[in-house]
Amino acid sequence: MERLLLAALALCFGAARAEAQSPRPFTTYRQWHGETRLHARLEYAAGAVRVSAARPTELYRMDLLYDGERYEPISDFDASTTAVALGLQPAGEGGLRVVSRNQLRQTAAVTFSPKSDLSLAVTLGAADADLELGGLRLTDLDLQAGASRATVRFSEPNAARCRVASLRAGAAELTVLGLGNSRCDRIAFEGGVGRVTLDFGGTWASNSRVEVKMALGEVTLRLPRQVGVRITPDKFLASFDPQGLLRQGTSYLSPGYDQAARHLDIDVTTAIGNVGVEWEDGGER
Amino acid sequence: MRACKRLLAGVALVALAMPASAAASAGVDPTGARTLNLVHGFWTLMSEVSGHAASDSAAQVAQPEPRAIPPAQSGGPTVSLDDLSQPTAVEAQLRAALRPRGGGLRLTVPHGTARLGDFSIASNESMPGHLLVVQGTADVFGKLLGNLVTVGGDVVLHPGGVVSGDILTLGGEVRDQGGEIGGEVRSFRSTSVLRVPVQTAAAAAPSAIDTVFRRAAGVVGVFLTLSALGFGLVLFGRPNLEVVSDTVSHSFGRAFTTGLLGQILLLPTFGMLVVGLILSVVGIVLLPFVVVVYALLVVVGGLGGYLAVAHAMGETYTRRRLALGAMLSPNSYRYLLVGLGVLAALWMAWAVFGWVPVAGELIRGAAILVTWLLATAGFGAALLSRAGIRENFAGRLIPPEALTDEYLWATPQFGVSAAKRPGSRTPTRGL
Repeated sequence: MERLLLAALALCFGAARAEAQSPRPFTTYRQWHGETRLHARLEYAAGAVRVSAARPTELYRMDLLYDGERYEPISDFDASTTAVALGLQPAGEGGLRVVSRNQLRQTAAVTFSPKSDLSLAVTLGAADADLELGGLRLTDLDLQAGASRATVRFSEPNAARCRVASLRAGAAELTVLGLGNSRCDRIAFEGGVGRVTLDFGGTWASNSRVEVKMALGEVTLRLPRQVGVRITPDKFLASFDPQGLLRQGTSYLSPGYDQAARHLDIDVTTAIGNVGVEWEDGGER
Repeated sequence: MRACKRLLAGVALVALAMPASAAASAGVDPTGARTLNLVHGFWTLMSEVSGHAASDSAAQVAQPEPRAIPPAQSGGPTVSLDDLSQPTAVEAQLRAALRPRGGGLRLTVPHGTARLGDFSIASNESMPGHLLVVQGTADVFGKLLGNLVTVGGDVVLHPGGVVSGDILTLGGEVRDQGGEIGGEVRSFRSTSVLRVPVQTAAAAAPSAIDTVFRRAAGVVGVFLTLSALGFGLVLFGRPNLEVVSDTVSHSFGRAFTTGLLGQILLLPTFGMLVVGLILSVVGIVLLPFVVVVYALLVVVGGLGGYLAVAHAMGETYTRRRLALGAMLSPNSYRYLLVGLGVLAALWMAWAVFGWVPVAGELIRGAAILVTWLLATAGFGAALLSRAGIRENFAGRLIPPEALTDEYLWATPQFGVSAAKRPGSRTPTRGL
């Protein structure tokens, strides 16, 4: 009886639903042919995007669901420079459709080979991004986020030495987790308005220098205990809470900084807002 | 006969209700899991039906007999498969090229071949150039030295199969069973390339009568909508509406000037508000709400003001009719209907005569201008009267009794100018 009822209802509503506008699926990938290096540029205008490591047989892959009337996929590989451009760009009418949140929610799953050195540049528009970069061979990272909410994770140690990670955010909420696993010599963050959380957890294999510049907003630095940390704040109308750090001149040092095997030097420049310090285990040092 | 029908209906109802009641009697489900299952089942079934509907529409295109598509004559449809990095552009080219034409399907693929229906490259075969397969599956056992595009079909790359260039599927997917692809794979699982474009009479330019009816329906629709909103306003905010309406009547000039200034200052005010909230840092959290509330206030101010203007117009008209001895019921509902009717009449004139060259545009311009003037005055009145809270500009500050001659003679008050006694001289204190 229930099935009959369901069938009747489904027949009534099903046809209408089939006619409704639905997101268009698009897939692009390239087989891995022994490439040792890949320059990847990911531009994602709007929607949710997830980045992670690919299957070993593929150099990259992007599975996309997008609004075909307003956007078009980017998928261009240049064999001479081993560079690929992926993503989603506005087309046609542009803008965001607001008729139904679920109906035309754009999603993208982008993966890159764990076998090739990866130079990654990501530009996000109005996006909800989750970038899992652990397990890749990341040599440098350039992230630009507009009005986005982005989480960058290094759940596993980076398999290559990373030269620099440059993160820039407009009016965004950015969380970077496990920066110790990134193996980046230099980490730079530049933000306009919003909230940023930098988690320096993970395995630190070398010293690192971090620059944080924030105009308006809240910066939270989550620090590990096993690394010697020096924070040099430069603030205008901002507060700085040096929880558990010892002041030395214009800098704040973690106890035992000089004896630590690895050093983490953080320069924080902020105009208006708040700079907070948290320790990985949550307690005071 | 009727009794028989009733009996049948009763039996049917009992039959429908029986299994459900039997199931219900088996045990009460306090967790509501049964309901959840029912809903889930409904959605699953609906998805299946939708999926079938979609796949059926795709399958409506009959599988053609495999054959080569002959090249088009000079100037005929041509699709270049040299560069597949812009898949949507290639799709648009194919859509145009595969549009049904008289004389059968003909298509030129520079540096390549085009096939209709299923096509396969044998394992001992090496095929130079690009390949386009329309409405068929491309099975690659051998080598294709170029790009491969399928429309309405999959690409199956068998072990040992090689495609040296890129692959693009429109309305299909790539099934890589162990082959080698030298280039990039791009795959749209749905496409409108093979869909026959609907060319109906509706696409033709509508006639003047159609236009008149469509516009008139639009005007009536807007009139009804505004009437409904106005009735709601009268029902729930009558005092405020009356104050705004009186403000328009008594201080039209001020209301219009204020409305104009208000319109000019809308964006700067909004900008200042946003910047202020951002600077306060804590206010950033409130930003989305403030944006919504501000937009809502502007809409309410504009719409409410416009309705108040309609109310004022209707009131003026009705009172004049009453003064002439007409037997009418003076109430806000009537005022609103009359006022909105007058405003709608202007637009109705455009609906009827809008198709007339020049005159139609003039009427439309006049309608837009008048509507804007009145809406601006209404918006201004709403601002002046603080949405009907402040009565300064509505001519309501002096109580009615203060306006009688007797009151003015007996107790002249500060701020109320006394009228002169009719006669020769001014009365003097002590006389």
